Amino acid sequence: MTASSSQVKPLDARLSGDEVTEVGKNGRQMSDEGRAHRRRSIGRTALLVALFAALAALVLIPFWAIFVATFQDGNMIVRYGLNLGIDFATASFDNWVALFTDSGSYFRWFFNSTVVTLLQVVLTLAISSFVAYGFAMYEFRFKSALFVSVILLMSVPFEMLMLPLYIQINDMQLQDTYTAVILPFLAHAVTIMFFRQYLRGIPKEIVEAGRLDGVSEIGIFFRLILPLTKPAFAAMAILNGMGSWNNFLWPLLALRSPDKYTLPIGLNTLLTPYGNNYELLIVGSFFSMIPIFILFMLFQRFFIEGMTAGAVKG
Amino acid sequence: MKLKKFATAALAAGMATLALTACNTATPDAETTAEGSMITQEAVEGATELELWTFVELHAQFYTEMAEIWNEENPDKKVQIAVNVLPYDDMHNKLQIALTSGQGAPDISDIEAGKFPQFTQGTPALMDLTEAAAPYRDDIVEARLDLFSKDDALYGLDFHVGATVAFYNTELLEAAGIDYTTIKTWDDYQEAGAEYFEKTGKYLGTVDTSAAWQEGLLLAQLGGEYFTEDGKVNVNSPEMIEALTILKGLQDANAAAVPPGGQPDTEEAFGAYNNGDFAAAVMPFWFTSRYLAYMPDFAEKIAIAPPPTVENPVNISVGGGGTGTAVMKDGENAELAAEFIAWAKLGTEGNISTWELLGFDPLNTEVWADQEITHNPENKFVKYFQNNPFEPLLEIQDSIGHLESFTNGSMPSVNNLLNTQTLNDIFENDVPIEDALNQAQSDLQNELGE
Amino acid sequence: MRRMLYSPKVAPYIFVLPFVLTLAIFWVSPLIKSFIMSTQDIIPGSVTNVGLANFERLIGDRLFYVALGNSMKYMIFTLFLLIPIPLLLAVLINSKLGSDRIKAVFKSVMFIPALTSVVVAGIVFRLIFSESPTALMNQIVGAFGIEPVKWLKNSETGFMALLTVASWRWTGVNILYFLAGLQAIPNDYYEAADLDGANAWQKFWHVTVPQIKPTLVFVVTISVYGGLAMFLESFMLWGGNNSPQNIGLTIVGYLYRQGIEKNDLGYASAVGVVLLIIVLAINIPQLIATGTFKKEER
Repeated sequence: MTASSSQVKPLDARLSGDEVTEVGKNGRQMSDEGRAHRRRSIGRTALLVALFAALAALVLIPFWAIFVATFQDGNMIVRYGLNLGIDFATASFDNWVALFTDSGSYFRWFFNSTVVTLLQVVLTLAISSFVAYGFAMYEFRFKSALFVSVILLMSVPFEMLMLPLYIQINDMQLQDTYTAVILPFLAHAVTIMFFRQYLRGIPKEIVEAGRLDGVSEIGIFFRLILPLTKPAFAAMAILNGMGSWNNFLWPLLALRSPDKYTLPIGLNTLLTPYGNNYELLIVGSFFSMIPIFILFMLFQRFFIEGMTAGAVKG
Repeated sequence: MKLKKFATAALAAGMATLALTACNTATPDAETTAEGSMITQEAVEGATELELWTFVELHAQFYTEMAEIWNEENPDKKVQIAVNVLPYDDMHNKLQIALTSGQGAPDISDIEAGKFPQFTQGTPALMDLTEAAAPYRDDIVEARLDLFSKDDALYGLDFHVGATVAFYNTELLEAAGIDYTTIKTWDDYQEAGAEYFEKTGKYLGTVDTSAAWQEGLLLAQLGGEYFTEDGKVNVNSPEMIEALTILKGLQDANAAAVPPGGQPDTEEAFGAYNNGDFAAAVMPFWFTSRYLAYMPDFAEKIAIAPPPTVENPVNISVGGGGTGTAVMKDGENAELAAEFIAWAKLGTEGNISTWELLGFDPLNTEVWADQEITHNPENKFVKYFQNNPFEPLLEIQDSIGHLESFTNGSMPSVNNLLNTQTLNDIFENDVPIEDALNQAQSDLQNELGE
Repeated sequence: MRRMLYSPKVAPYIFVLPFVLTLAIFWVSPLIKSFIMSTQDIIPGSVTNVGLANFERLIGDRLFYVALGNSMKYMIFTLFLLIPIPLLLAVLINSKLGSDRIKAVFKSVMFIPALTSVVVAGIVFRLIFSESPTALMNQIVGAFGIEPVKWLKNSETGFMALLTVASWRWTGVNILYFLAGLQAIPNDYYEAADLDGANAWQKFWHVTVPQIKPTLVFVVTISVYGGLAMFLESFMLWGGNNSPQNIGLTIVGYLYRQGIEKNDLGYASAVGVVLLIIVLAINIPQLIATGTFKKEER
């Protein structure tokens, strides 16, 4: 398709690197050039596809490496490293069997992570979009100051707040609860920024029309604006979901009971010379990636659409 | 204002939902064996529950077994132990934070010797166990109590002496025509190693970059310390230079090399040992358990001997590593916890169990002399090793030293710097020993604000 | 009361309230505490005010400079790797070349690593970069006849491993950010450039780059922050915070070491304060220069 389209409209081959050739000097030359152009274009396309294929393969190597490792003895993997080969002589499904029959708290951690991620995504999106609407649609005192603080918030290393925050969580009697894990991130600066950009793209006329119809300000947000922001929600759901599913340092501090651990913390506990759990570590690490992949595959269309729509515009 | 209220209410409702879910999912899990899990003893009626943290799964088994014996002997003060097995770093960090913030600490916790001084800084949150330990004190290797003492208060009770010994793979050595029993000094060790390398192209021993077991041993043999008498950092002392010169000599003579993982007690190193890349290890006695767990193929091929020494050593061996079990003084049942722990860690039953279950050299030296226990042919450690593990122990019994340095509050910093920077400089990057140690000295002085 | 619901004057405050609350409770208050703690010596059972002593200690602390240097180096290298390359790939994806289907698959594949947890990524790369001759990286260099390398023990190769993890995880994400920016550029701009006889490079430089400036600013801002605050990647790659010769020690790693591993909260807070100042010192001028703040005053 591309080759023919660039033949038909060579002028519009905007970023393909095609130079605008001097055309029209004489007809025969032009048709020759057309053919040459077409050949060149096919060559370039092939080059591009090859580049993409090579990069994709490179990116997928670690996944393959850990996948084949799930069929090997975990201790051997830790001792001798990961590679791409599979030794059929020693390969077995033992690790997979163990994962589903004798994996201790693994599925509990899995469940915990799912709960935390769902809660965090739903609440963060609700609150951040709500806040972003305030920034996007209104003029009010302190707006600049507050908005600057959103931007600055993106620059404050959370790690530096971790220790005082831990003490504070204890004072609030929230230690070892998911509330403590989730609460500090509810008004998420990057998410607010993103929604604000997205909402600024929505015509203010909709808001005005709502006001004329006698809808309250809050009502306008919930009834008129939210339905228009679905793609943004999809994109942010995936980004926040990733963040929450993979969050490590803060839950590690905030949670204390092993039966409340989330998956990354749980997996990390397997990485110890005192427990002999390397089989579970490898197969568990691999398996932990699957749900988020599935979600991504299901929603990737919305995700990419949402990211595009919320592009940080000038 | 209504709306503001609405918003706050909504937020509050959200939080409440969260809290509820948190509660729902917090129902304790059934008994599991995976790391990061609670191992709770079977419910005991009328028992006091004690929460215990450890970083070694096997320790958990030890405590629950001891609790069962305790409950039989003390029906009036039964205990129920809930052991929480956490990874090494996490456990210490969490305990530290819990004690600092005054919230969420367990009743009892294992604390690794290298981390212990941190917990006795300022006003320790740990209970003084002097009184609880008094009934058992006579037969205990005193140095191991000193390790966890500060200002005349005893804050932790160890599992073992951890006497540093040498482990030799006799099969490999015999094949190269080397008799390990002739190795007495570091010079012998180096010579044997050089010969072994010449014949096999492989190494006898290790020089470590991520642990300082051999440095500690050499300091004890040379009568050195990591600190001056008034507790200031002194890692570039003549003894330290000599110790590292000896070790560097091993490396230069191809008698030893840096193992994968940086020290023998790592999974990567177990791999190398299993490959036959190294034929010996100079490690604390508890390394016995690693042989059983990770090198089963070497059964009946490993011999244990006293460690190589310098000429006229101050001490032949030194206690290496260790785990101080401490009781939190603010715990509701601190008294009972202390009584139980003292009995479990210092009493005869506990010491026998320490050997039989964990393969450690117990604190109570009476056990060492009890042939019925030490030569029990059914014991898995007796079966595994070529000679009786207690032979070398009895041989060096009166010459197992202790470094005062281990109790210094700055020891964790020294360990950290040696094991990340200095030993790597020396053994991986060929930085001259004195330069590396001077650098370490000034880094530590800066870091500690001395 | 009811009027407020309908008042465009009051409504915005209601909308931003949750943000103000979270900001105050979970960010500003610990931030202030952090500043206070940085002037204290905190040991269990006693807190003493020491003024700027922690900062003085910091100035003489060589390891702090090691950490600072590593973080800076990491940030700069990630900026070089994770801005131009993803931008170029995004431009290629956005071009007319190649089938859309192939490009969609490519986009997804590039993004997949971002979905993995750093914990898992760290474990996988640690084992790929294992010093054993049978580990992948050593097999690769072995194919060229090079002896097995102790990847994670040398500062250059260790740093390379760290950058590999970073590139692996973030290239796909930045591609999507840039792609979003690119697709928002109206076609007319390019057509106009074509009419002026601009070549591809000129179009890229004079149309694409200025048009995606806001995206660039955003990506640079989060990359600066992400680079300077990097910790977990190193923590997982070396299986802990103590890499050989501290080759993986970062500012946050040092904060973690002092605050959590050594329980010196005052000193750790001082490290945190310095980190905050550095991040702001880089980001604020950058944001002012690119006019990000001004926009709001409009």
